[in-house]
Amino acid sequence: MSSSEPLDPAQRGDHTHPRPQAEASDLIVVGGGHAGVEAALAAARLGSQVKLLTLASGLLGEMSCNPAIGGLGKGQMVKELDALGGLMGVVADATGIQFRTLGTRKGAAVHAPRCQSDRHRYREAVVAAVAAAAGVEVIEASVIGLVIEEGSHAHLAGAERGPWVRGVRLADGSVLRASAVLLTCGTFLRAVMHTGEVQAAGGRAGEPAASGLDGDLARLGLSQGRLKTGTPPRLAAGSIAFDELDEQPGDSDPQPFSWRTPRASFPKLEQRSCHITWTNPRTHAIITENIHRAPMYAGRIQGVGPRYCPSVEDKVMRFADRDRHQLFLEPEGLDTDWIYANGVSTSLPAEVQDAFLRTIPGLSRARCLRHGYAVEYDFVRPSQLDGHLALRSVPGLFLAGQINGTSGYEEAAVQGLVAGANAALWVQDRASFVLARHQAYIGVLVDDLVLTDPSEPYRMFTSRAEYRLLLRHDTADRRLTPLGHELGLVSSEQYEAYRQREGAVLAARSLCDTQRLGGKSLTQLLRRPEVKAFELFAGIPALLALDLDPALMAVLEADIKYAGYIENQLEDVARLRRQESTLIPSGFDFAAISGLATEARERLHALRPRSLGAVARVEGIRPPDVALLAVHLARQRRTAGD
Amino acid sequence: MADSGETIVAIASPAGAGRRGVLRLSGPAALELTRQVTQVGSALDGRPRRGVYRGRFDDGGGSQPLLLLWMNGPHSFTREDVAEFHLCGSPPLLERALRRLLELGARPALRGEFTRRAFESGRIDLTRAEGVLALIGAQNEAERRSAAALLFGGLEERVLALRAGFMELRSLCEASLDFDEYDTAHVSLTELEQRARGLVRACLEARGWEERRSAALAELRVVLVGAPNSGKSSLFNALVEEGSAIVSGSAGTTRDVLEGRWLLAGTGVLLCDTAGLAEGGRDTVAAAAQLQAAGFRAGADLCLEVLDRSAPEASLSHLDLAAPTILVWNKCDLAAAQASAPQDGGGCLAQVSLSARSGAGLLELAEIVAAALGLAPREGTCEGASACAGRLERELSARHRAALQATSEALEEGLRGAREGSTLDLFAEHLRRATDALDSISGHSTPEDLLDRVFGAFCIGK
Repeated sequence: MSSSEPLDPAQRGDHTHPRPQAEASDLIVVGGGHAGVEAALAAARLGSQVKLLTLASGLLGEMSCNPAIGGLGKGQMVKELDALGGLMGVVADATGIQFRTLGTRKGAAVHAPRCQSDRHRYREAVVAAVAAAAGVEVIEASVIGLVIEEGSHAHLAGAERGPWVRGVRLADGSVLRASAVLLTCGTFLRAVMHTGEVQAAGGRAGEPAASGLDGDLARLGLSQGRLKTGTPPRLAAGSIAFDELDEQPGDSDPQPFSWRTPRASFPKLEQRSCHITWTNPRTHAIITENIHRAPMYAGRIQGVGPRYCPSVEDKVMRFADRDRHQLFLEPEGLDTDWIYANGVSTSLPAEVQDAFLRTIPGLSRARCLRHGYAVEYDFVRPSQLDGHLALRSVPGLFLAGQINGTSGYEEAAVQGLVAGANAALWVQDRASFVLARHQAYIGVLVDDLVLTDPSEPYRMFTSRAEYRLLLRHDTADRRLTPLGHELGLVSSEQYEAYRQREGAVLAARSLCDTQRLGGKSLTQLLRRPEVKAFELFAGIPALLALDLDPALMAVLEADIKYAGYIENQLEDVARLRRQESTLIPSGFDFAAISGLATEARERLHALRPRSLGAVARVEGIRPPDVALLAVHLARQRRTAGD
Repeated sequence: MADSGETIVAIASPAGAGRRGVLRLSGPAALELTRQVTQVGSALDGRPRRGVYRGRFDDGGGSQPLLLLWMNGPHSFTREDVAEFHLCGSPPLLERALRRLLELGARPALRGEFTRRAFESGRIDLTRAEGVLALIGAQNEAERRSAAALLFGGLEERVLALRAGFMELRSLCEASLDFDEYDTAHVSLTELEQRARGLVRACLEARGWEERRSAALAELRVVLVGAPNSGKSSLFNALVEEGSAIVSGSAGTTRDVLEGRWLLAGTGVLLCDTAGLAEGGRDTVAAAAQLQAAGFRAGADLCLEVLDRSAPEASLSHLDLAAPTILVWNKCDLAAAQASAPQDGGGCLAQVSLSARSGAGLLELAEIVAAALGLAPREGTCEGASACAGRLERELSARHRAALQATSEALEEGLRGAREGSTLDLFAEHLRRATDALDSISGHSTPEDLLDRVFGAFCIGK
């Protein structure tokens, strides 16, 4: 993809609501998780004054679940976030204790970086980065509600006046006013934790639920649903017989997420291995005998859990034919005894957890430092949001992260960036930004969220992206850094470094076009699946002289090998461009379009897609429906123009 | 989805054997495609605004006499380059010419698409936009109705089976791509290839089947419908040359659709006898026969609704008729028939009284039908009111064949790549393109459908 490709009108656009009035601060971010931190930093990079409200200022960027960043579909998003100046990649690089690239045998489009993190160091690095950021003030406070005032809704269909959010109310009775409020309260809305028969209010072990906010969200008329997630037991390293288990080391040639990470001192921390073990029929028997005590099976949990991250009791019950399931024992850090037992997320009673763990090879004397538990929480149905993650019906309120029904640090973080940046742009009266599906997984995620309500926690998969071949992890900077720089999200330093890398790749590319070997150009040779760039270039002095970074050589090789496919996908993008850039006015009345199938009319009325392209992606919409709308829109434009 | 940028083509003449058949081509590749199918294309080098040229159309299998009408964009209806190929009126030849243009990369036009482009390019005015909207609305409706024809035709089930095969294969492929090799049952590329080869065969089989069906569709089709015992089968026997329908007085005898050739104004049309209406639902065989009959009607160029004049209570079935209909009052020779007065035709093209047994009125019927189908002129009938549903089915058939071809080509290309050692992500891309092509027949699939399958089949997740 050309880096200088101009943005479609659909991508730099109008906010749903008119500019807000000036307040004491530009933006209040409620919550200091991965979404909240990226949001606050992004808004601050754009020059906004941000207050970041958290219950515990030392817990910014806490990893509530597994001590890992990246992975298939997620690693790509970390790189996109990084290409837009985000924090996650840099911190992951600085605090990683094992780095692996996944999917290496399956093709460049699905290569994905992943790392194990030192949980404490990760958090400390985030706290330090936020403290160092100009424009972000961290305040320890408990938010109990929103400041809701009546304001003009003349720009919306319906009543002339309605609620605007202009700040938050705190537990100590004080009020903080802001032009925009972003909620990133994760799993803390009406949160209940379950371990067997035991229930406790709270969204994370040892921390209370957010209360009060749920009442205000209901008062604003927002539709909410309930989801469930779970976490596995943490074990004491000293109680595990690692020598009986298979070791899973990191890559011999570890690769960082961020180009901003200095290569010379990477990896910064000592590297550790994970270990692999398996459940067995004895484990399964204990789980089956006690299944009635699992909250999910006893009917105590109504929330829907993720299918891609099932609890061990789900695995055993749903896949009864399998006599073993895999566990990854992942270290939580260098100076800690804690081991994360990845693969056995569970909410069975503590004594059942102890019993089944002891049937597993290597864990016969394992000691639980914290038992697994399930969390049930409310989310706000994201179809009520626009592409900037602002609520369509309530000016002043943005939502990001798990509150929108997603799962995962990476999914939360990218939403934080989108919401934080757009809130800042809104307050500053600048055009908004929306990434298209062919530009970034971030674009896929936001588009999916606003067009469909998740029925389980939403996680990124590469199969969600129809333009997967355009969204390679190693082209994230090419896809996004110029835009990020134009917006002000990316520093000139980061942008210049990107330009130099891109220049080096282009120089090598033109050499490949002209240099020949055995009558064929290097480009032609590299198209063959079995030809590797580093082997080929070893015999070509002109290319050796360029001294191309191996990571950039991989970029070049994939560019050439995928060229035909990339061209095809770009043609698809171009073919649909007009559709994507045909915008639908915010007050457009879908219900008034005769000829639309009733079902189509209802769906469109509820989801209010922003462009004709989005209409075509709504489930159940057929080509004649889109054609009908196209003519209606053209007619409206011409009537307006006459 | 339709969008400009693509070059579209459709048969623009009324269905059936007329003196002339017209193919209309519009879009950026119109000039290039015209050059590829006819030597007179070179006369367009100077890009004249308009021109009429005489030459031959190379349809790949042979050449046909051609009158080419060229309109250079923006001096055309759609403001794009437009070519009209006036060919001889033989349906099979016209079909071959259409297929050639599809092979060269044109896309079958959706109903109303030329008009839509004209509107969107500002060529036609606002008042006519209403007409465009009505047209597209009608397409929406007609396509929904044609589902019955597809069901009858048997393509639907073939496509559904194919689609299930594709979803299965894609879910295996995506599971391998989206989950760590440590995480899930791993499917070897060899197994994926083997399944893909099976799907290529199934695609070719479905296309061959659709080819044969479309050859049959190229004929004009007149369908007999009516209540049990109204005498459809007797009429059928009286009209076709070698009658073979079983004629019986007991209601519901005709279970299968019978076909015969009826010679009208020198052209053979296909006459189909369907199961009697109103007896459906009593048992499953009868219900199936009803379904068949409905399918036939949806694909009919013309329906003859047969009514028993001797039965005074006989009345219109008030079917939601998908094709223009002529009312045929049968048994007018019976004593009871003389008294009853003709009824209101309720939106039908014409009414005829006759007796299948005595032969009275059969000639008049032939004249009216020939006129309605545009085969011969006749005073007082609305010429060209023919052939709505039959034509739609022919259009759909052309689109389906193009889609099936695109499907198998994408799949074969993927297999070629896999043989040469390319990676799984690229194989998956070919599969996606193949499924997209197939989905243009059966409605689109979402990534969510795919993930549902993945989670159904594998125990995934750490």
